[in-house]
Amino acid sequence: MHKNPILRVCTKILFAPIILFGLYVQFHGDFGPGGGFQAGVIVASAFILYSIVFGLDKGKELFPSNVNLFLLTLGGIIYGGVGITSMFLGEEFLSYNVLGSSPQSGQHIGILLVEFGVGLTVSNVMIALFNAFAGFKSGKGN
Amino acid sequence: MISELLINAFLVTVMLAIAIALLKTRTVIFTVILTSAYSLVAALMFITLDAVDVAFTEASVGAGISTILFLAAMAYLPKKEEENFSNQFLPALSCIILGAILIWCSYDLPEIGLISSPIHQHIVPDYILGSRNDIGIPNIVTSVLASYRGYDTFGETIVVFTAGVAVLVLLQNNKKNPKNTKSKINKIDKKVG
Repeated sequence: MHKNPILRVCTKILFAPIILFGLYVQFHGDFGPGGGFQAGVIVASAFILYSIVFGLDKGKELFPSNVNLFLLTLGGIIYGGVGITSMFLGEEFLSYNVLGSSPQSGQHIGILLVEFGVGLTVSNVMIALFNAFAGFKSGKGN
Repeated sequence: MISELLINAFLVTVMLAIAIALLKTRTVIFTVILTSAYSLVAALMFITLDAVDVAFTEASVGAGISTILFLAAMAYLPKKEEENFSNQFLPALSCIILGAILIWCSYDLPEIGLISSPIHQHIVPDYILGSRNDIGIPNIVTSVLASYRGYDTFGETIVVFTAGVAVLVLLQNNKKNPKNTKSKINKIDKKVG
C-alpha cells in the first residue's frame, strides 16, 4: 500500500484541503453548522490519513508525539483558562461578557477561544488514540 | 409532505437492512464498515430533522473517525467472530419486551416540531431570543453549546481528554522493547487494502 503511487499522490493533494476545511468548520462554527468537535475530528483525519499511507514513523516525523501530547493538554487549559480569566475579571466562571469591550464582543471572543480549545483537545486525542492503537505491541504475539 | 414521508421510509428501510446485515455478518471488517454505513444513514436522518450540527457530528465522528479507530484496533482482534450456539431465548425475549414498551411509550410523545409541546415552551424561547440579542451569533446551537451550556462542554472536553489519556496509559509501549511500530501499521494497511 505504501508503494501505490495513486494513494501517495492523492494523500499529498488532499492533505492541505482537509486541514483547510477543518479550520473553516472550526472558525465558521458561529455562523454555520460546525464547531470544535467536528473540526478537531476533521483535522485529525488528515494526519491519520498521512500516517496510514506513509507509515506511522513518517506520521510521527510530521507531527511528533511530544507536540501531540502538549497540544492535547493545551486545549483543556485554554478552555479552563477562559473560565478562570472571566473569574479574575470579576464575573462567574465561563461568563464571557467581561472578556470584550461590550458583552456581545466578549461573548464572541469567549466562544471562539473555547471552541478552539475543544478543537485542539479533540484533534490531538484522536491522533494520539490512532498512534497508540497502531503502535501498540501486544505481549501475546499477534 | 409526501416526499418527506418517502425519504423517511427510504432511510428507515436502509437502516433496517444494514441492521439485519450487521446481525448476519461474522467478519469483523464487515461489521466495522456496516457500522460506518449505519452512522452515515443516521446522519441523513438527522438532516431530515433539520438538525444539521448533529448530522455533521454523526458523519464526522460516527462514520469517519470511529471507523478508522476501529480499523486500527482491529489488528488485535481475531478476523472472525466465533459462532455462539448457546440458548438465546431469554435475551431475545427481553429485547422484544423492551422494544414493545418503547414503541408503546412513543405514542405519548408530542408530535415532532409541535410548538405547544413542553420542550419548546420551557427555556428554548429565551435561548432563541438571547442568541440574537445577548450573544449575537446566528447559529443557536453554537451559542447554547459554548455559552449557555459552557460548563457541560467543558465537562465533555475533559471527558475526551481523560479518555485519551487513559488509552495512552493502557497502551503505552513497553520501553524495554526496541520500537518496531512499522509491523503494526503494515498490518492495518493490509486489512484496509
